This record gives sequence, structure tokens and C-alpha cells, in this order.
Amino acid sequence: MFELTLQALFSGLLAGGYYATVAVGLALVFGTMRVINLAHGELVLLAAYVAYAAEARYGLNPVLCIPMALVVVCVSSAIVYALLARIEEDREINSLILTFGLGIILTNLILMTWAADIHSTTNAWFLDSVVIADTLFAMRSEVVFFVGGLVLMAAVHLWLSRSWQGRAVRALSSNRNAAKLMGVDPRKTEILSFLVAGALSTFAGIAIYTGKTIFPALGHIITVKAFIITVLAGMGSIPGVLIGAVMIGVIESFTVTFAAASLQELAGMVLFLVVLFVAPSGLFGGKKALSR
Amino acid sequence: MNPRILIPILVAAYLMVPLAFQSNDYILGLIVAALTIAGIAVAWALLGNLGGMVSFGHAAFFGVGSYTSAVLTMKAGFPVFAGLLMGGIGAAIASVATMPALRLKGPYFALAILAYAHIFQILSVQMEGITGGAGGLLSIPRFPTVLGVDFGGKLGGYFIIVTVVILAALAYDAIRRSTWGLALKAMHDSELATRVIGVPSTQLKAVMLVVSAFITGVVGAFNAHFINFLEPDYAFSGTWTVLPIAAAIFGGYRTVWGPVLGALVIYLFDQLLFKEILPHGHQLVLGALMAGMVLWSPGGLVPGLIRRRKGGGAHAHA
Repeated sequence: MFELTLQALFSGLLAGGYYATVAVGLALVFGTMRVINLAHGELVLLAAYVAYAAEARYGLNPVLCIPMALVVVCVSSAIVYALLARIEEDREINSLILTFGLGIILTNLILMTWAADIHSTTNAWFLDSVVIADTLFAMRSEVVFFVGGLVLMAAVHLWLSRSWQGRAVRALSSNRNAAKLMGVDPRKTEILSFLVAGALSTFAGIAIYTGKTIFPALGHIITVKAFIITVLAGMGSIPGVLIGAVMIGVIESFTVTFAAASLQELAGMVLFLVVLFVAPSGLFGGKKALSR
Repeated sequence: MNPRILIPILVAAYLMVPLAFQSNDYILGLIVAALTIAGIAVAWALLGNLGGMVSFGHAAFFGVGSYTSAVLTMKAGFPVFAGLLMGGIGAAIASVATMPALRLKGPYFALAILAYAHIFQILSVQMEGITGGAGGLLSIPRFPTVLGVDFGGKLGGYFIIVTVVILAALAYDAIRRSTWGLALKAMHDSELATRVIGVPSTQLKAVMLVVSAFITGVVGAFNAHFINFLEPDYAFSGTWTVLPIAAAIFGGYRTVWGPVLGALVIYLFDQLLFKEILPHGHQLVLGALMAGMVLWSPGGLVPGLIRRRKGGGAHAHA
């Protein structure tokens, strides 16, 4: 029992690594544009499918597919931005419907191109098990992408806090007009946030492809999960998102271990509702209330 | 409701369509399915336009309505037509459970309702004793024959759903014209200002949510008795959310008949045309329609047509 608990904790922690990269992408875009990109998960899935296509056809190692996937996802991300920027009236409702529609388009394009089958990497190196302290098991892919995820999160954190562009992103999220007065070009900054989100999505997509299985309907599930994590964490802080992601990962793996795999999504949903109703600004959100 | 609009609609609904297609069960079946979507689309538009809330979880109310009616008629001996009403009431009660979500806005409300839909779906799988679990419910009773009219067939089903949809649209219209409608419209412009002059905005939104859920529940109950079969994946399927949204956006969710027209056009085109061309992934077209309408004609089809007839200018807003 104790070992099971420990293993569930460990698996959840590892999943949290790439969950966090998905969620931070969503939060960055929300920060600059005040828009929840409901096609975000589909972009993540797109990266996974690019890796699948390259591996299936040319036998490429999924990690080597990252540059190609990066180009595809960033271009798609930029298209989403270009379309979103065209909306003028009723931005809140219309941007939701637009990105929801774009998500459906992407899901169905993936379905038409790669069929509804379930895929996963055939590269044995990623699937080999790693044993830590004789008791904790993980796939090599999980460990690699957990560490990679942490590094990426640290990089984004540094970028946001130290670089001029990163500060511009934060300035735009906290006060749009003041940021403009200080010489921040909102368009450039918004595009930048979409591109960084695209890069994070690419990483997450490859992580999912090597560690889990992919299928066309997964994109929507990823979007919802990322949204739940950002709600949990509050949109503000990167360490918060990381903790939220690990929490979701752990709760899911506990549900799967001690209840049933079919309840995995339910656990996240219930947690989401509880947090929304009890602490709508998130566990680490500070002042920025989500319900406003 | 303007009789110049209503009378042609009634004539088409009760005379022309039945006369034209009474012997063609296939087309009639498609029209019934399209009207089922239309009913949800009207309910969705009512909440979206008047309440200002986008829901991604109307499948929750559809599923609860269909299960309520199916279970009550099968296990408690309710007459089928009473079941229809109970389906609506069941969904309305379920909507009370979702009311804490009303203080959320925009994406938070939309996804909170989606979460409810998932939770209801999982509950319907787990409550095997009542709902039959993942296996679902078979041979749900059909609509009976009343005064010599067989409501169990395709044509009878058509008359029921077309009545439900027309009543829903009339209710939407009546609310829109009432003082509530005025207050809700003011809320759309500035919720804070509306609250300041004493409009109980949260209560009004709650009422819209209940009405919307009730309509969706009735439609769900109708569908259960029309196809005589239910399972959780079907009853709470995302299709019951996506198609109505696409229909309402396409037709124009700020108008009363836009969602109905949108549902008929989208569903019939989807089934007769797109499904033939793209057997896999024909929902692509729905996504493209949603995105395209938002970008190029945010008001939807119906206001666009009206504007063209009037030669531009007037903006058809709620």
C-alpha cells in the first residue's frame, strides 16, 4: 500500500512536468490577449502527430522531430493569432467561439490525415523503464521530459522576469494602456506570447507522443486540462502553475491507482469546480480574480 | 411575434413540410434530427444572447432531460407526454446544481458547464441501478397514439418536435420583449451600471439558465422517446453541444429564428452533403462555419439577410 502510494505520487509528479508546459502556454496567451485559446490542446496534439508522421515514415527519433514540429506548430499558432486579432465586437464571446471552431477544424484535419487510430512512439529507448531506489518505476520518456519541462519552465520564468520582451509580456498582462505608454508594441508582444506558447506546446506534444498514446480527440482533453491547471494556480505565476500541474498529475494518478482509470478525468473536473467555487482566484493567484 | 413572420412559419411547419415529406421517412427523420438540434440551439442562444453566457456543456441538460424522462416512463409508469415535461423539469433541477457557476464569466463559465456535463455523464455510468450504466437503456417507450394520431412514427415525432421548437422560439421572443429582456440587454452593455440601478442581475441570469436548461431537457426527453435508446456516451455526447452552437452562430444567435434556420441548414447540409464528401471528419465544416461566421459575419445569417434587404444600415441586435 505504501509503495503504491509512493509510486502514484511519483508518476503524478512526472506527469506534472509536461502538464505545466501546456498550461503556461495557455496562461501566457491569456495574459497578453485576455483570450482563452480553446485550440491550444489541438496545437499540442499537432506537434505529437508531426513527430508520429516523421517517425513512421522516416524512422526519425522523436526528439529530432522537434524543429520540424516547432515550425508547424508556431505557424499554426501565428495563424490562430492572426484570426483572433481580426475580431472587433464582443471579443469575449466571439474569441471563445472562434478558437473553439479552430480546435474542431484542427481535430478533424488530424482525423482526416492520420485516421482515428491510437498511436505511440515505437522507439524502444523512450519506453524502457527507469528504476529509482529499487521501488519507483518510470518510463525513460517520462523522466527525460519531466527534467526537460523543468528546464523549460525555468527558462520561461527567467525570460519573463529578466528580458525586455518578457517584461513587456507581463506589462501587457497587468495594464495594457500603461504598457503601451511605456513603449510596448502590443501586437509584437501578443505574437511573441503566441510563439512562446507554440514552442512550449511543441515540447509537450513530443512528451505526450513518447510517453503516452495519442488520438485525434485528445486535443480537447489537453485544452481542458491546461485550463484546469491555470485555474488551480491562478494565471499569475510560473511556480504556481508548476505546483498546480503536479497537483493535477498526482490527483489523476491517485484516482487511477486507487479508484478506476475511467474516473481520471472526473477527478480533475471535480477539483476544478471546487477551486472555482472556493477560491476563484486560484490557489496562488493573488489579486487577479478570475471571475472578473 | 410579428404575424407576418409567424404565420408563414406555422404554415410551413404544420402543412407544407408534412405534406411534402409524409411518405419519405428518410428525409422526415433528418428533419426531426435537425429540429432536435434546433431546439437546443434556441435554448443555447437564449442563454448566450440574453444571459450573455457561452455554455460548452448543454449536453449536460440534454442528457439529464433524456434520462429523467426515460427512467420515469420506464420505471415509474409515467405517461410519455408527461415524461417530456419531466425531462425539462429534471434538466431545470440539474441547472440549479450548476448555478454556482453563474458568478463566473466567459471561459470560466463555459468550461465549468462542460465540467458538469462530464460529471453528469460519469454519474450516469456509475448509477447502474437507475440508468443501466454504460450499457444504457433499451426499448424506451415510444410516443402513444392520441385521438387516432400515431405520435410514435416519424410524422408524429415531427409534429411533436416542431411544436416544441416553435414554443421555445416563442418563449425566447416573449422574454426578449419583456422588461426582463430589457434588463438583460442593459446588462449586456454594462452589468455594473445595470446592477447599480437595482436590477438583480444574478437572479435574472439564473432564470435564463433554468429556462435554457428546461428547453434543452424537453428536447432531450423527446429524443429519448423518438429513438427509444439511451447510453451515457450518446446522451451526453459533445455533439449535442457542438452542433447547436454551430447552428446558433451560423443562423445568428441574437435573433429568434436564426438558430432554428441555422440548425436546419447546417444539419441537412452536414448529413446530405458533407458526410458524403468527407465521411471522416465532416465536423471540420462545422468548425470552419463557426470560425468563418465569427470573423466575417458575427451577427449570423439571419441579420445578414435582413440587412441586405433593407440595403445595409440597421443592425439587428437583441
